[in-house]
Amino acid sequence: MNRNQGSLLTSIYTIIALGITMIFFFPLWWSFSNSLRIPKETFTVTGVGIPFINFTPTLGNWTHQLSFPEAHIALYNSSFIAVVSTALAIIVGLPAAYALARFRFRFPPNKDITIWFISQRVLPPAAAVVPFFVLWNMLGIYDTKFGMIIVQTTFIMPFVVVIVRQTFLDLPIELEEAAMVDGATHIGAFLKVAVPLSVPAIAAASLIMFTFAWNDYFFVSVLMMKNFTLPIYIAGGVDSRGVQFWFIAVRTMIAVILPLILCLLAQRYIVRGLTLGAVKG
Amino acid sequence: MIRWDKRIKLLFLLPAVIWVLALTIAPLFFSLYLSFTDVKREVVITGVEEIPILDKDGNPKTRSDGSIRTKKVKQKELQIKYDWVGFKKYKRVVNDQEYQDAAKFTFIYVIISVFVEIVLGLFLAFLFNRRIYGRGFMRSLMILPIFATPFAIGFMFFTILFEVSGPLAWMGIPFLSNHNWAPFSVMLVDIWQWTPFCFLVFLAALQGIPDDLIEAATLDTKSAYKIWTSVILPLLQPIIVLVILLRVAESAKLYDYIASLTKGGPGTATQSVSFLVFNKAFKMNDFGYASAGSFLMLIVVMIFVMLFFTRLRKTYE
Repeated sequence: MNRNQGSLLTSIYTIIALGITMIFFFPLWWSFSNSLRIPKETFTVTGVGIPFINFTPTLGNWTHQLSFPEAHIALYNSSFIAVVSTALAIIVGLPAAYALARFRFRFPPNKDITIWFISQRVLPPAAAVVPFFVLWNMLGIYDTKFGMIIVQTTFIMPFVVVIVRQTFLDLPIELEEAAMVDGATHIGAFLKVAVPLSVPAIAAASLIMFTFAWNDYFFVSVLMMKNFTLPIYIAGGVDSRGVQFWFIAVRTMIAVILPLILCLLAQRYIVRGLTLGAVKG
Repeated sequence: MIRWDKRIKLLFLLPAVIWVLALTIAPLFFSLYLSFTDVKREVVITGVEEIPILDKDGNPKTRSDGSIRTKKVKQKELQIKYDWVGFKKYKRVVNDQEYQDAAKFTFIYVIISVFVEIVLGLFLAFLFNRRIYGRGFMRSLMILPIFATPFAIGFMFFTILFEVSGPLAWMGIPFLSNHNWAPFSVMLVDIWQWTPFCFLVFLAALQGIPDDLIEAATLDTKSAYKIWTSVILPLLQPIIVLVILLRVAESAKLYDYIASLTKGGPGTATQSVSFLVFNKAFKMNDFGYASAGSFLMLIVVMIFVMLFFTRLRKTYE
């Protein structure tokens, strides 16, 4: 294969890849572009809706939507629930990840415990939702942020367990042993040696868990009423005046922007995280 | 393995185990119990209380003779009754046309979307594994959908598939209003969001294949097709199986897209099992039906997972 043919092939592949990438990127782009247009231009815009070329962009929809307290409440609730559940999942899940990486359990063996944690992500939430509704009402934590945090923590905990377990496995055990020779306790070796060395993986796991807690709609729609989060706020964009595409676009963007940024930050760990540690990536 | 004081070992593991046991296994057993019962939610009047009527300053209103005006308020209490009905709810669910339709739709939905995601993901991974310009940048753009809020994605596609004057209106396809097309529109959303995930995993796997292995194969045969079928695909096979497992389990949960994109419609054409269960439980207050319906689904998913169980166990050595 001579060099010219090689670069021609590279160009062809690049063009095909670029075309597909653009198709996949289009929905996000369209929504973004829609949020910058005046309502009249929602459907009259030509081309693919590039600001300044196809239309004059305006922040009118954004300022209008963000001026309502609902937007702030939804943003605050979503962030609060996601941050606290992520923190809780780490506090409870991290020691478990360490235990599964470092010690041998006989009954049941380590790998079965790991798989059992993972099996929660396979469980259809529909099967657990009615009991949650009944129990939460009985306990008086229905429609509270506290109740929501408990649910979210439960379902995101597998991520920290499987992602960080793998990182702990990759750490040389000698470091912790050296610390223990120097007089550190077991817990000290875990907190002062293993955890600091695994910060990147813990951070990536946190981003993934935050996103899952932030994105959840199923449990929110069952267990929340007045304490609404972003998805419920988006649904409010459809009212008696019909679907207001321009406001929906803004609300969609508000919900989606943060996960998209986190996605780019956690890029290296997405494969390991979403395959639940099975593929190292 | 460190030799460890047994108590500390358990101290590390148990909080997470107890948390998860209490909040997934316990609700599941409760749900199993509910599926054998007829749950009735009744508002029972437990008593009548007289309270003073207040004026707008918060002072009690008085009659002309000086006595305080009162109103009677019924004290209500929500009581939940569970009547054991055996397999009655299961029989109803199995014979219910609506459940059968939902199960059929969910099944077809899972099969088609996962199949397309795997094939398209493999193709894209193959493409991005070649020497191309701007790979890192395009890869970043490609994976954006993975983390996007599914419920919001449904609305996003609602604007894109808008039939009157949306950006795809020129195709003249009744994306959401026709009961034959609507299921495909929902699949399209799933494919859009999860093909990038399959692509990313396969790409990572492809890049993990040592170059000299491929080079050795090229000495044997010049045909790229043969190299793929006899070297690359067999190497990728465990990962493909794993991705299928994860995607099937995940897409069987189908709820968010439907809740925002089609609301199960038109008619019941895009009603998934989760969506039906949700409606039965919280719109029609039939907890027994919902629990039985979701348990049947759980059993099907579990059987599917069990088929892969030995392989899954190997992955976590």
